[in-house]
Amino acid sequence: MNQVNRLSAVEGTRTRIDGTVPINFTFNGKQLQGVAGDTLASALLANGVKVVGRSFKYSRPRGIVGHGAEEPNAIMQIGSGAATVPNLKATQVELYEGLEAASVNGWPSVNFDLMSISGWFGRLMPPGFYYKTFMYPAKLWMTYEHFIRKAAGLGSTPVQSDPDSYDKLNQHCDVLVVGAGPAGLVAAREAARAGARVIVADEQNEFGGSLLASTQTIDGQLAVDWVADLVAELNGFDNVQTLPRSTVFGYYDHNFLGILERRTDHLGISAAAGSRQRMHRVRAKQVILAAGAFERPLVFAHNDIPGVMQASSVSTYVNRYGVAPGSRLVLFTTNDNAYQTAIDWHRAGRQVVAIVDSRSQPKGDIVAAVKGLGIEVMAGHGVIEAQGGKRVKRALVARLNAQGADIVGPVETLACDLIACSGGWSPAIHLSSHTGAKPVWDDSIVGFRPGKSKQQERSVGACAGTYALSGCLDDGARAGAEAAKLAGHGDGKLYFPSAAVEEYKEQPQQALFLVPHSKKTSRAPSQFVDMQLDVSASGIELAVREGFESVEHIKRYTAMGFGTDQGKLGNINGMAILANALGQSIPETGTTIFRPSYTPTTFGAIAGRDIGELFDPERYTAMHRWHAEQGAEFEDVGQWKRPWYFPHVGESMHQAVNRECLAVRKSVGILDASTLGKIDIQGPDAAEFITRMYTNSYLKLALGKCRYGVMLKEDGMIFDDGVCACLGDNHYLMFTTTGGAAGVLAWLELWQQTEWPHLNVYFTSVTDHWTTATITGPNARKVLAKVCGDIELANDEFKFMDWRDGTVAGVAARIFRISFTGELTYEINVPAHYGRHIWEALIAAGEEFGITPYGTETMHVLRAEKGFIIVGQDTDGSMTPADMNMDWVVGKNKTFSFIGKRSLQRSDSVRENRKQLVGLKTIDANTVLPEGAQVVFDAKQAIPMSMQGHVTSSYYSANLGHSIALAVVKGGHSREGQIVHCPLADGRTIAAEIVSSVFYDPKGERQNVE
Amino acid sequence: MSNKLSSIKVESPLQYFHRRTSHQSQVAAVNGTELFNGDAEFALVVKEAPICTHLNLRGDGRDDGFSAGVSEVLGIPLPTEPGHYHCNHEHSLYWLGPDEWMLVSQAGALTLEAALRQRLTGHISIVDLSGGQTLINMRGSNTAVQTMLKKSSVYDFAGWPSAQTDKGCCVQTTFAKATAVVSNKSDGSFDLIIRRSFADYIARWLLDAGQEFGCRIEG
Amino acid sequence: MLLIHCPHCREDREEEEFSYSGEAHIVRPVEPEALSDKEWGDYLFFRKNPRGIHHEMWYHGIGCRRYFYATRNTLSYEILETYMVGEKPQVIAAIDVAIDAHRDTPRGTL
Repeated sequence: MNQVNRLSAVEGTRTRIDGTVPINFTFNGKQLQGVAGDTLASALLANGVKVVGRSFKYSRPRGIVGHGAEEPNAIMQIGSGAATVPNLKATQVELYEGLEAASVNGWPSVNFDLMSISGWFGRLMPPGFYYKTFMYPAKLWMTYEHFIRKAAGLGSTPVQSDPDSYDKLNQHCDVLVVGAGPAGLVAAREAARAGARVIVADEQNEFGGSLLASTQTIDGQLAVDWVADLVAELNGFDNVQTLPRSTVFGYYDHNFLGILERRTDHLGISAAAGSRQRMHRVRAKQVILAAGAFERPLVFAHNDIPGVMQASSVSTYVNRYGVAPGSRLVLFTTNDNAYQTAIDWHRAGRQVVAIVDSRSQPKGDIVAAVKGLGIEVMAGHGVIEAQGGKRVKRALVARLNAQGADIVGPVETLACDLIACSGGWSPAIHLSSHTGAKPVWDDSIVGFRPGKSKQQERSVGACAGTYALSGCLDDGARAGAEAAKLAGHGDGKLYFPSAAVEEYKEQPQQALFLVPHSKKTSRAPSQFVDMQLDVSASGIELAVREGFESVEHIKRYTAMGFGTDQGKLGNINGMAILANALGQSIPETGTTIFRPSYTPTTFGAIAGRDIGELFDPERYTAMHRWHAEQGAEFEDVGQWKRPWYFPHVGESMHQAVNRECLAVRKSVGILDASTLGKIDIQGPDAAEFITRMYTNSYLKLALGKCRYGVMLKEDGMIFDDGVCACLGDNHYLMFTTTGGAAGVLAWLELWQQTEWPHLNVYFTSVTDHWTTATITGPNARKVLAKVCGDIELANDEFKFMDWRDGTVAGVAARIFRISFTGELTYEINVPAHYGRHIWEALIAAGEEFGITPYGTETMHVLRAEKGFIIVGQDTDGSMTPADMNMDWVVGKNKTFSFIGKRSLQRSDSVRENRKQLVGLKTIDANTVLPEGAQVVFDAKQAIPMSMQGHVTSSYYSANLGHSIALAVVKGGHSREGQIVHCPLADGRTIAAEIVSSVFYDPKGERQNVE
Repeated sequence: MSNKLSSIKVESPLQYFHRRTSHQSQVAAVNGTELFNGDAEFALVVKEAPICTHLNLRGDGRDDGFSAGVSEVLGIPLPTEPGHYHCNHEHSLYWLGPDEWMLVSQAGALTLEAALRQRLTGHISIVDLSGGQTLINMRGSNTAVQTMLKKSSVYDFAGWPSAQTDKGCCVQTTFAKATAVVSNKSDGSFDLIIRRSFADYIARWLLDAGQEFGCRIEG
Repeated sequence: MLLIHCPHCREDREEEEFSYSGEAHIVRPVEPEALSDKEWGDYLFFRKNPRGIHHEMWYHGIGCRRYFYATRNTLSYEILETYMVGEKPQVIAAIDVAIDAHRDTPRGTL
């Protein structure tokens, strides 16, 4: 097929294509050719392609209707393989060499459609059809849905991971201009000249908006030349950022807007070596919405046959792309504006069969101009039906009454292959609606205008209902100066004179939302309102007869506006038809609320670079690379990567953990404990403050000593725990759990800053500064002695819960003698730059004792053997110290009521039968209970059983030779010796005995080994 | 002891990333992204400063005794205006909050802390963070540096006036999904103070984000 | 995505830097032990959650690490003012003004 519809140059216009650069592409497997500057839509039309898809519900053949974001029918799958993109509008896809396009609707083929032949599917699907037919039985819905989707076609997502990359930019500006049509361009220029930082974004590939297809002159220049000069001027400003191919898709709180910039889509699917799309997250002081307007279709019988198009789209294809999508045009209009399409068509050398104008006495200047060209104007008429199969063949035309509500004359037939329609214009109020501004109906423009601003924004030009070019230029310039002034730039005066524009003075349009047919609506051939989802006028009326009244309900029941075009064309007609059916006005009926996104936004751009290894920060300790070199398996603890266990070659996790556990208790092990949170606390009131935060007292903690403490929230529940050391006068170091570090710091700051600002104390996180190597086991002292000569390590000199400063392997270190294993333990802290040095020195010193690096799993087993809790594992935000059998840590005689103390006396905190921490010993020594297993007292009771608690920690203990578990059980502290049962999902029930939570070394003697 | 000391291994947070690079993509090259200082490959250079002293300093900035004491010891005025730092050849003092500053210095941590503690009285806090942070400098073509900042942080750096040799702007803010203290320098480059445990993540982020310009990390 | 003026940093900063920390101006009882369970429960658990003007605590955690207060309209998300801990709000909902007028004790105390 040749480009049969491609026009040669037309006098007085300048297209935006380069006819000398051919571009090859395929459509549904067929080789076609377009030219540089084409969109996929203009190239298809140039090639005479009529049917581009099938409708969603009735599978009717559909052709291209529009030329931009409003297009409902030409929905394409672009590319193939991993980089394929579904649901793009052909009107917005720039043509590139080798482009592969396929209709998303129309399985198995657009020209031979199974569903359409079988017929039943289309005829029997009234609104609410899905709900009515497929709701029951509910379990079959998935089956139905699969079939419906396949048949209707919504494109296919790639199954491979996306090969393209996407990124995000955080932008800040004084003035964001949305839309680079006439109003937006002059607004940007005024704001820029005033000195404001300006961003101008436009969804099209080049700036100019409607002017790119205009035959008007501005200041004596062709519109496109005027645009080129102005864009060059804008690009000359340092304070202006121009973003073509960039859709402002959402307007959020506090003037935050999202822009999706398509950077390489126009170069070809696999051309993207940089980021394919970029998300601009813009915080703008002021926003100017100059988003334009959508021409409103006219709703008449079979208005969906390919060859029925928007009038402005026909002009755009002729003037901008040099394509005449047909030969014989019938123009159907309610206004003067669309007459230009007849002039453009005539100028392109094609036949205008007639202009059908619903107004009984059109008398504008342009009407006279058209008549001067010898074009017939049928005033007071309407196209009541289009006829044809895959292409319009005839328009049925009849005289209408003055309101356009009834047919008052005989039906005439006009032979044609193109019906261009214009029912007036609808401002693109979408972004204004996103802010919560309520759209206001205006009879004078027969449309909704943007509502009262809720944010720092204003709408100008067509999206504010100003359609004349001169008005757009004046409004835009004023808005640009005003916005700049409000953002702190300039005094609001205009820097540039207003441009001289030649334009026709327009006469009032007629409101016509549904063109009457010889038959009543329910009997007439379908009069489509929403083409993409096959919502017809009769469907809306049926919904009203079935009792729906609210526009939001009708929208959901009929699916009007739910397509990928979001009802940009059909919504106003639909609401007007609804209002009429309800016997009320359009303002009474109201409009649905537009929400982000304005057009579909790719998930890739939303994710940006926060994917793969950059999805979330991986925090490493100073010894991370040593662990990795030793083949450690890592566990995520918050954002930290912690060694989980260190398997030898051929070892399973179970074997490795058993080996590590035994090594610690038999000789010595080494753990990277650097991830523990550490907070430096200084100030004269430090001890008082710490004492208020922990359940026990620190007022008498001496220099060189440590104390274990539990922190509660004000509700009395355990929130964090750790050791706190006195480092000097008014100077303390607090350890927190690994995951709790940031939360504890914020918690301390909260109380100091908002409740007790009179307490003089400062908190500083030192988590990253210190690296901690923990050596533990009966030989720990011997290892330490080999690398540390300046600390007296004897048991009675460096006691349990003491800390000392000294030198370890040549590095100044701070050593804490505390223990999370029950064994003799030294936690050796050095500044992190020396972390790996100290670690390797300890490994070397421990070699003769078989020092064994161990990970978090062994740490968990060893502490569970000792019954030490882990906050967040054995507690869940509903556990008091008493529940954990830790009354000993609660200071009863503290002068100040520490945080949470009062709550420990609440009736709920002291009631019997609270869940309490116990040990569980399975009857079968080798069975390890699953963590989270529910505990019941009677295994034979009927389901649902009465659940009495749950397992919080569970391991196999190689040291003890049997499994161990910690659990919380109702009244558990008085149930020692009782047998409980854990029914599992797999049908097994495991019996266990309630025992003390301290399984190993109950007297705590091992840490005092000599 | 001396021969022992010489064998002490010291590792900076970004040590394993020195000399790592990410190369400019073809698309960026086609688009003609300006390169830096005539560098054929890299429009962006990230350099980790040698290990030095980082002290967190707390005190009452409205107390004349405190600010005079700090200024006397360091030879630079205490920045009390939010979002500013002062520096000389030895010290850089960054405003972090109304009673909090970050001091990055070539002086030894112990000596410097002792000098400050001797001169300052009242309720203060000085905390050594030298092991927990590192300072990296990001320099390159203006486009590359500004784009990197826009990619990485929600803060509006373009709103800053140019830095002078003895003072400039600083801010503690988000950097990718971590945090950083970012400051501008009189040569047009930017300094970042980042936490050690996030250094690997940030280095990977910078190499990835800088790919469109060509990015090199130096030590 | 809110834009929040930090009174300490004295500039507008992005919401990502902040965390919300609950209702402001709740005064901790001086003697918790003197309260009944009900009174203590009111302090612990009951919050205003108004539709409209609300006084809140915010923490500039990725910034100056200071807490401050904000008056926010929970309906429009507009932030009407931010102010220092220890200061009183300038913008007060009509209903709170009325309640205060009939109270002997300051708002929030028990």
